[in-house]
Amino acid sequence: MSLLELGGVHTYYGDSHILEGVDLSVEEGEVVALAGRNGVGKTTTLRTILQLTPPREGSITFRDESLVGLETHEVATRGLGWIPEDRRMFSQLSVEENLRAAIPDPDDVSDGLQLAFDSFPILEERRGQDAGTLSGGQQQMLAIARGLVGDNDLLLVDEPSEGLAPQIVADVAEALSKASEEVTMLLVEQNLPLALDLADRFYILDKGRVVDDGETAAVTADDERFRRYLSA
Amino acid sequence: MIVEALAEFLTLGELGGVIVNGLAKSALYVMIASGLTLIFGLMGVLNFAHGSLTMVGAYLGGLLMVVTVTGGTAPLTRLGLFFVAIVVVFALLTMLGGAIETTIIRPLYDRPPIYQILLTFGLTLVIEEVVRIVLGVYGLQPLSDWQAALATKPQFLREPVALGPVSVGWMSLFQILLGTITVVGIWAFLTKTRYGLYIRAGSEDAEMASALGIDVRQVFTVVFALGIGLAGAAGTLLMWDPTWGASVPLAAETLLPAFIVVIVGGLGTFRGTVVAALVVGMADAVTTWWFQNVIEFTGLPEIVLFLVLVVTLIVRPQGLFGVEEVGGH
Repeated sequence: MSLLELGGVHTYYGDSHILEGVDLSVEEGEVVALAGRNGVGKTTTLRTILQLTPPREGSITFRDESLVGLETHEVATRGLGWIPEDRRMFSQLSVEENLRAAIPDPDDVSDGLQLAFDSFPILEERRGQDAGTLSGGQQQMLAIARGLVGDNDLLLVDEPSEGLAPQIVADVAEALSKASEEVTMLLVEQNLPLALDLADRFYILDKGRVVDDGETAAVTADDERFRRYLSA
Repeated sequence: MIVEALAEFLTLGELGGVIVNGLAKSALYVMIASGLTLIFGLMGVLNFAHGSLTMVGAYLGGLLMVVTVTGGTAPLTRLGLFFVAIVVVFALLTMLGGAIETTIIRPLYDRPPIYQILLTFGLTLVIEEVVRIVLGVYGLQPLSDWQAALATKPQFLREPVALGPVSVGWMSLFQILLGTITVVGIWAFLTKTRYGLYIRAGSEDAEMASALGIDVRQVFTVVFALGIGLAGAAGTLLMWDPTWGASVPLAAETLLPAFIVVIVGGLGTFRGTVVAALVVGMADAVTTWWFQNVIEFTGLPEIVLFLVLVVTLIVRPQGLFGVEEVGGH
């Protein structure tokens, strides 16, 4: 039994057919990369899993339970966390309040905050600061920390390196690598070396369908399969 | 003449009186507007029924006072009954607000805002007609203040009190007390409770909040219900104020200043609403003194409100503490 399984998922934005029968699975403990050019449906896949953009057709199961038809907050309480593309901090809330909002059990607040601050000491230094005033890298760390403290079994991570300086990307990669020891991940990432470095397996999406998949250990970023589907 | 008037205005007795009056007006404005700003801040819903529900609160509060107070009821007992009435009205209107949100507002969240505006405007018409019908059954005049309710106010609240050289009304101090309790209560709820945290998170990004496991729809219901409860509590307080009173036109009389305060403060920000209520209340009190004592002009209060609104929209269109976008479903 896979932790997460998508079968024949079709998703639309209005009349636009975005996902045209996506099939993929994620096993417990692994990191799976979802690659593809811009606009092929990677972010939509994550939104569909979370029921933010519910599918019109197909099945999505998590621990063998169907997620289709649930509200997004019900999906989240089943152990799926989201680290979205543009971080989506609550900019007028402090760093600590952002973390508190992500901790599901009020009795676990102290432990959750400690976990976040142990993982990202800079966040403890900035705990009282409005999240909107953090740098891009710090916001990404807060986004990852928010996913970690949410008691999640699967993190859906969307473009974590987007818009960050190379040195910050290295920090974020290290943070994700550390986090992957604790939690399963489905990772959308355009930065192929980063994705291949972190992931155990990959899927390539093209025009709303999975067109290739495999183990990352045997491929490199300039592999023919990647060049065919990822070159602009 | 102006110099003499200015000298008189700046004496401790006059200036102190104007400041207390300004604070009392600010307290009323913040009570009227805080429910409206909470609802808009989180949900992006412009609730045109807010004034009508304030009016319902005034009548319900008045009803509770009229049936419990007799001619022989002691002043402090009347005050105690009034606090009970505020709590009961708050609870009843909160339940009514919850019912309104779940039954008629919620189905329109995915529609353009004009649907909510038209719906709440229609709700205003329905509420006012129902109140008129009920008043008619009991032989009460809908356009005049309900004098029997006003008469339940203890005598000492009609009298002035000397604070050193400053003479102010007990009613003003009472209104300032209730306004302060309201502001502190809402602030503590928003910043010190887990639910308040969910409200602030949901008001910034409802989609992200729900992806963190927060049931944003339930938060919407609670916020709408509390906003209506606050409108009802404000109505109960206005029922005892002779310049407002319980009457059907109270709905329109309160809706306008509530919107002005919310817009001046910045749509959807509670801090902005508090500051705007202070600005508008003080401007109202200061100019009222000048027009009563120097230049006789009676149509002043509304003009001052609109003046503050116009100046704010010209100088800072998003309001004192406004953000570019608020609310969302």
